[in-house]
Amino acid sequence: MRSHTLYIGAALSLAVIAVPASAETMTDPVAIVEAANEASYYAGDDGRSAARMLITDDSGNRQRRQFTLLRKDVEDGGDQRYLVVFSRPADIRGTVFRVEKQVGDSDDRWLYLPGLDLVKRISSGDKRTSFVGSHFYYEDISGRGTAEDRHELVETTEDDYVIESTPRDPDNVEFARYRSWIDRETLLPMRTAYERDSGEIYRRMEVTEVETIDGYPTGTEVRMRDLDSGGETITQFRYAEYDVGLPDDIFSERSLRNPPREWLRR
Amino acid sequence: MSTHHWLSALIIALAAAGPALAQSEADPWENGDDWGEDPWAEEQAGWQWYGFIEGAYAGRTQSDPTLKDDATLNELRLQLEGERQFGRFDATLKGDLWADGIEDGGRGDLREATLSGTLTDQIDVKAGRQTLTWGTGDLVFLNDLFPKDYVSFFSGRDDEYLKAPSDALRLSWYGPVNVELVWMPVAQPNRYIEGKRLSYFSPEAEQRTSASVDPTDRDEFVDDSEIALRVHQTVNGIEYAGYAYRGYDKQPSAQDPSTRTPYFPRLNAFGASVRRPIASGIGNFEAAWYDAEDSQGTDPNQPNDQFRLLTGFTHEPVGNLTLGWQYYLEWTQDHDALLAATPPAQRKYAPEEYRHLLTNRVTWQLMQQDLTLSLFSFISPSDEDYYLRPRARYRFSDRLFGTVGGNLFGGQDDWTFHTQLEDNSNLYARLRYSF
Repeated sequence: MRSHTLYIGAALSLAVIAVPASAETMTDPVAIVEAANEASYYAGDDGRSAARMLITDDSGNRQRRQFTLLRKDVEDGGDQRYLVVFSRPADIRGTVFRVEKQVGDSDDRWLYLPGLDLVKRISSGDKRTSFVGSHFYYEDISGRGTAEDRHELVETTEDDYVIESTPRDPDNVEFARYRSWIDRETLLPMRTAYERDSGEIYRRMEVTEVETIDGYPTGTEVRMRDLDSGGETITQFRYAEYDVGLPDDIFSERSLRNPPREWLRR
Repeated sequence: MSTHHWLSALIIALAAAGPALAQSEADPWENGDDWGEDPWAEEQAGWQWYGFIEGAYAGRTQSDPTLKDDATLNELRLQLEGERQFGRFDATLKGDLWADGIEDGGRGDLREATLSGTLTDQIDVKAGRQTLTWGTGDLVFLNDLFPKDYVSFFSGRDDEYLKAPSDALRLSWYGPVNVELVWMPVAQPNRYIEGKRLSYFSPEAEQRTSASVDPTDRDEFVDDSEIALRVHQTVNGIEYAGYAYRGYDKQPSAQDPSTRTPYFPRLNAFGASVRRPIASGIGNFEAAWYDAEDSQGTDPNQPNDQFRLLTGFTHEPVGNLTLGWQYYLEWTQDHDALLAATPPAQRKYAPEEYRHLLTNRVTWQLMQQDLTLSLFSFISPSDEDYYLRPRARYRFSDRLFGTVGGNLFGGQDDWTFHTQLEDNSNLYARLRYSF
């Protein structure tokens, strides 16, 4: 019974993804942004992937991060659960980060520090701060609520929908607006440029590699550039899988101390 | 060569070699397209080894009349950690070896030797020497009655050394509520201040001293065992927990009246905690009842019952800046009886009936989180003393870290918790190369 529901769920979300490719051109910016959000962050009912980051600062010094990401959707386009298990570098190996993403509310976040056997709860705070020292923000990893900005379709090119988004609450974010180039076929935002009030672009995201995995187009290499400092981070995803049937109970304190190895295996 | 010189040599060597070791131009990812070395993702054959080398020096900000050494820390340390998988189980070994310039010579500490894993769908187990932590306090512990290493903490070592390892069996059962049971077959005391490295106030001597403390051990297998229990569950983002402990005081807080030998009196405790999001931050509340041997409070050689309470709030008012606030109370029961039973000359050294403690943590991350500045302050209005922990940590690379900071104590009366440590106030520098 359960597997039937999952199968139908997967088939339906596949249909949602597949339809726009052959469907008519979309014209509603909110619908485009919501579809892009689902394509980027909600592929399948759950997913897992290995990820690694190469962080280069303004003087060319490099740092690396490697982790495995488990995700389960509570609701498509809505709440989600994340577990991030770090394996590199040595000083953060064994650190586990757990997030209960709550759309329209603040997320619940926990961090496990193995050296002290400490389960730390972190205030949800500012989601536009660096994720583990990279140029990606927390929000870039888990998605920004589509309702937090106003969206306008400024152009429909041969390949992309170009959307300009302005924050509803400008005091909470560092950008004045951002522009996204959303692939008309895959609905993945392939480029995003963040602007200041003056129109100056200071931050750019670019998807440099897309693979179709289990039927879902997936950005497998993403570059984030900080144009102010000249630093950048490249994130690569490998061994991604969708609809793997992650159980709810692995998103718990238990997994912080004892990561769910059977679900972390490639 | 003294440890001090080793440290200087290490700092120079690492400063020169660190960036070179961390960089590999040919392969920016360092492991190319091979995503190996991920213990979570692949069954690893054999042991995987990790570790670090660290040099650390902490100098007193003033000399200590009771100790000849002007340093509280002067060491070169190697930590090795090995892991091996056996099906659903993991074996972990973690040990430190260091050349110690304070307690002259080579030193070693086995910090972990465990076998852990999943017994059934609902039960996890971890057996052996391990670090144990629970409760909601930030550097303040109520229901966490696992051993602490205050000597390391105050003398300038990394925060992770605040927790001393325990020889224990930990069973975790996950069901409608989660139950954790920790059994320590012999008592696991704190690594308390006992004169070798840090001086303290002796009410007996009525002055600060570095005389060694030699309490009666609680080392009878099973007879001196301790047990700690936690029942916990998270409901709608609110974490509830209940705690119980049956064991011994972690400090040698009692004294045999005839021999004047200190010992670890029996201590049983129970308590509860709640942690939840409040406003834009995290609020925590924790309470504990310490049931001492001397329940009437009439024996001045033993601690009385205590009620302990903690309430705290952590928030991030702006990005990369975190503030934490705590209020902590130790309420000594039967205080009148304690004073009445204490010889008049000793009365001023007795604990206050209400010991209030306020703490604040400021953490500021800069330079893409490579630089972390923090200040942790303990202030007790009732003891009229303070303890400040300023720190700056810089991440030169994924392998090289430098930390400078201080442990600064002060206050009104020589004998209060923090003021007694005044002559141990120190500033430290540590350099760590991890591999």
